[in-house]
Amino acid sequence: MATATMTAGTAALEPSGPRPKKLTADRVGLYVFLVIAAAFFLLPMYVMIVTSLKPMSEIRLGNIFSLPEAWTIEPWLQAWNSACTGLNCGGIKVGFWNSIRILVPSVIISIFIGALTGYALSLWRARGSNLLFAVLLLGAFLPYQVFIYPLVRIYSSVGIYGTMAGIVVTHTIFGLPLMTLLFRNYYASLPIELFKAARVDGGGFWAIFFRLMLPMSTPIIIVAVILQVTGIWNDFLFGVVFAGRENLPMTVQLNNIVNSTQGEKLYNVNMAATILTALVPLVVYFVSGRWFVRGIAAGAVKG
Amino acid sequence: MKTRRRMNVATYVALFPAFIVVVFAYLGTMLWTVQISFTESKLLPTFAFAGTRQYERLFATSRWSISLENMVIFGVGLIAVCLVLGFLLAAALDQKIRFENTFRTIFLYPYAMSFIVTGLAWQWILNPTLGLQQYVRNLGWTDFQFDWIIRSDRAIYVVIIAGVWQASGLIMALMLSGLRGIDQELWKAAKIDGIPTWRVYVNIIIPMLRPTIITSVVLLSLAVVRVYDLVLALSGGGPGISTDVPAKFILDYLFGRANIGLATAASSILLVIVLVIITPWLYYEYFRPKRERR
Amino acid sequence: MKQMTKALFGAAAMVALMAGPALAQEPLKLEVFHWWTSGGEAAAVQEFAKEFNAAGGQWVDTAIGGSGSTARPIGINRIIGGDPPGAMQFNTGTQIDELAAQGLLRNLDDVAAKEGWKEALPPAFYEAIVRDGHVMAAPVNNHGQNWLWYNKALLEKNGIAEPTTWDEFFAAGDKLKAAGVIPVAVGGQPWQLNLMFNSILLGEGGKDLYMKVYKDLDPAAVSSPEFKKVAETFGKLRDYSDPGNANRDWNVATGMVISGKAGFQFMGDWAKGEFVLANQVAGKDFGCILGPGEKNFVMGGDVFIFPKLKDEQGTKAQDLLATVFMSKDAQVKFNAKKGSVPVRLDVDNSQLDACAKIGVEVLKDPAKQIPATDILASQDIVQSLQDVVGEYWATPTMTADEFVGKWNDTVAQAK
Repeated sequence: MATATMTAGTAALEPSGPRPKKLTADRVGLYVFLVIAAAFFLLPMYVMIVTSLKPMSEIRLGNIFSLPEAWTIEPWLQAWNSACTGLNCGGIKVGFWNSIRILVPSVIISIFIGALTGYALSLWRARGSNLLFAVLLLGAFLPYQVFIYPLVRIYSSVGIYGTMAGIVVTHTIFGLPLMTLLFRNYYASLPIELFKAARVDGGGFWAIFFRLMLPMSTPIIIVAVILQVTGIWNDFLFGVVFAGRENLPMTVQLNNIVNSTQGEKLYNVNMAATILTALVPLVVYFVSGRWFVRGIAAGAVKG
Repeated sequence: MKTRRRMNVATYVALFPAFIVVVFAYLGTMLWTVQISFTESKLLPTFAFAGTRQYERLFATSRWSISLENMVIFGVGLIAVCLVLGFLLAAALDQKIRFENTFRTIFLYPYAMSFIVTGLAWQWILNPTLGLQQYVRNLGWTDFQFDWIIRSDRAIYVVIIAGVWQASGLIMALMLSGLRGIDQELWKAAKIDGIPTWRVYVNIIIPMLRPTIITSVVLLSLAVVRVYDLVLALSGGGPGISTDVPAKFILDYLFGRANIGLATAASSILLVIVLVIITPWLYYEYFRPKRERR
Repeated sequence: MKQMTKALFGAAAMVALMAGPALAQEPLKLEVFHWWTSGGEAAAVQEFAKEFNAAGGQWVDTAIGGSGSTARPIGINRIIGGDPPGAMQFNTGTQIDELAAQGLLRNLDDVAAKEGWKEALPPAFYEAIVRDGHVMAAPVNNHGQNWLWYNKALLEKNGIAEPTTWDEFFAAGDKLKAAGVIPVAVGGQPWQLNLMFNSILLGEGGKDLYMKVYKDLDPAAVSSPEFKKVAETFGKLRDYSDPGNANRDWNVATGMVISGKAGFQFMGDWAKGEFVLANQVAGKDFGCILGPGEKNFVMGGDVFIFPKLKDEQGTKAQDLLATVFMSKDAQVKFNAKKGSVPVRLDVDNSQLDACAKIGVEVLKDPAKQIPATDILASQDIVQSLQDVVGEYWATPTMTADEFVGKWNDTVAQAK
């Protein structure tokens, strides 16, 4: 760290002593702020984990902050393996691979089309492109449930209702506004000289996109991946309406476990099931972290 | 000459998927929504013309005006707090601290989790009998009060708190990516010039983050207009109807109450409101004649 | 020669044996769409599935949890999209109106006539499944909505007898308050509050008022002094519950009664499931009352509708399922696990628990069979009124008159 080298370097000239208080107080303040913020963010997670490790008899007593007296990982096993989601009592693992099968093509296609559209809108001219973008953005504000009925009619007339194609198309449709916005802003913020130079070199629309722009898009692709993975993995309504019986995602089982109204509610299993379902996006966040730092620094220096 | 036309064709080809999506999915749905709002449709769409009856009922329903009010309060609160908190967290994480990965994941994880159950956890925490209030009282502070969630006038603020919890991590991530994109030379130069740190942030860094801030505001606005899960899990729209929001109103009538005529009327009004708000910004950002870049 | 003939016979016999079952036992597959996803509900559905499969069907299960308001639109969209399930769950009442009117459902007249549904069902329920003279749905259960549950130990400890009138109830509440116990565990969600309100409406206001308010949608009945008294009684209950009741799940409220934190809860008979899960026994650890006040049984429940299918096998499967749903055996087995009462009045009820038996006794009198609001009015009206009740509960400063005004306005707009 810079401070360490400074102290070491000046040790020969000045008496070594406590570091200037100002610096330490600032750092301490920084960490205090971060720890308090972390406590706020972790509070519900604490309640959820603690609840998920208690038997129902303890939960009924209503002491939500207390540690379990009779620790049990039964709820976790149940959530994964044996919780009832209808006639089948197979837990949430039933839909896991379906969710993956829906996730991968949807993320790739929605980000690709968003990037392409953002690229076209930010660096090229086309008649009506701004109007297109405006309608896209406006449409994003409509509650997405309103789209269900019209889309059902359109899909069934084209024959993709209740198929994997249907759900992938749906995720692309609903990812388009945000993805386009992200990429459009990003490409617009890149130095224009790069683009001009590539054009001078004879690069056409597609060549520039694939050879220049996409490779430079790492930082924004990470953000896009985070957004899309989270949204698509946690999606329930589109999956259950458009994916078809054989492709129902994990969120359907999660919904069935968590949202029974007239049946008994096993809060511990619900919490465990929710945390388990969230693991995939969480892993993506954790792993994407390193890319956050590197990619962006590279992009900035290049300019 | 020839090259230019070819490039233009490529642009149109590239924009074709977006075009299809916009026309069929978005425009199509918007037009359908407006059309149905003028019919008597209940569970299934019909063409029985109803004039402005659905709109009349809409404006006479106190739940609707309350939900619009709440959307404004929630929107202002959420956007302001998330931007500030997200920025502060990002600035803090940018300071070369230890455990950066851990902190970042802690701030970001709420976004990953389905709010139906995390909302339940919050509901328990905020409940005066079950949660924080009771806990602090048991520790000795018997006068401690934190029962906003059951007070009609305060409950919406609790929804803001939960919304901030869920969304500021994402804003932090966006801001962090923006901050990390700023050249380190800039910092060194500012240090040499003797400018205090906070000044550097306010006068130099934040203006440089403009595109990131805009994206954040758009993201948050989308979340505000569509907020549903949060309210459902936290307060159920209550106590009473005091934390109702437009998306919940629309969904209740669309699905549960089988009155898509009223639901589409509400959606149309919502669309108009959004249109009125974002048109000036869109014009400023994309439509006005710019100093030439190309 | 003889050897060969024998061999041939043997071979032929073997072929016949193998082909025989294959020809005769083609199972009738049917996709059944419902929202019963909790452990107890799943166990109940198992009973139907078992009976159906034993009778030559094959139950293909599609469950979407979430009280029906999630599942119904999804199912309806499937019907519209051209991929209908074979059978779909609805609540007894007006929810099926539009689907029936648009000709998307098939009728069950043949099965109903053959199995004698009209004679076996409570008249209100039979009316609830008939549209335009045709039987359009198969009812499967009868849920009582106006039960009052209580913790027996708590009442005994404080010397409280089962309240039979509303005055006695409030007296009991006072005693519990004095003992430091929350009198009523309330879940402050509009539908729960509405159940409570309807209990008072029936118990104090009486059956006629209830019907005038919900069936006839008569504003004069709502503006009457009797209704106002009901509203005031309802408002009084605010003081008998704890402030943390806002948006509380009904299960958590039942948990409060089970653990002794609260004495009473107004809830439908599905609350039994929570008691049973906590290993409590009806009549021993917890008690149940229909009331207090006039003893009536508010009947709600679930039915199955059958969308029109294109293939004949499917239609046959539907016939089979409808028969199974209403068969005496399946009715008893299903309802014993579900906590509700069989919808057929002519079955053997000896296996039911103590509370269900009370319900069956009351149901014997046709005058006490009260249709739930779902049967009497559209979901739009029912839920919009729930909004009003919820608002009234959450706003102590609202007067009964204001409440009455809002009620009438809401109905006028939603009609």
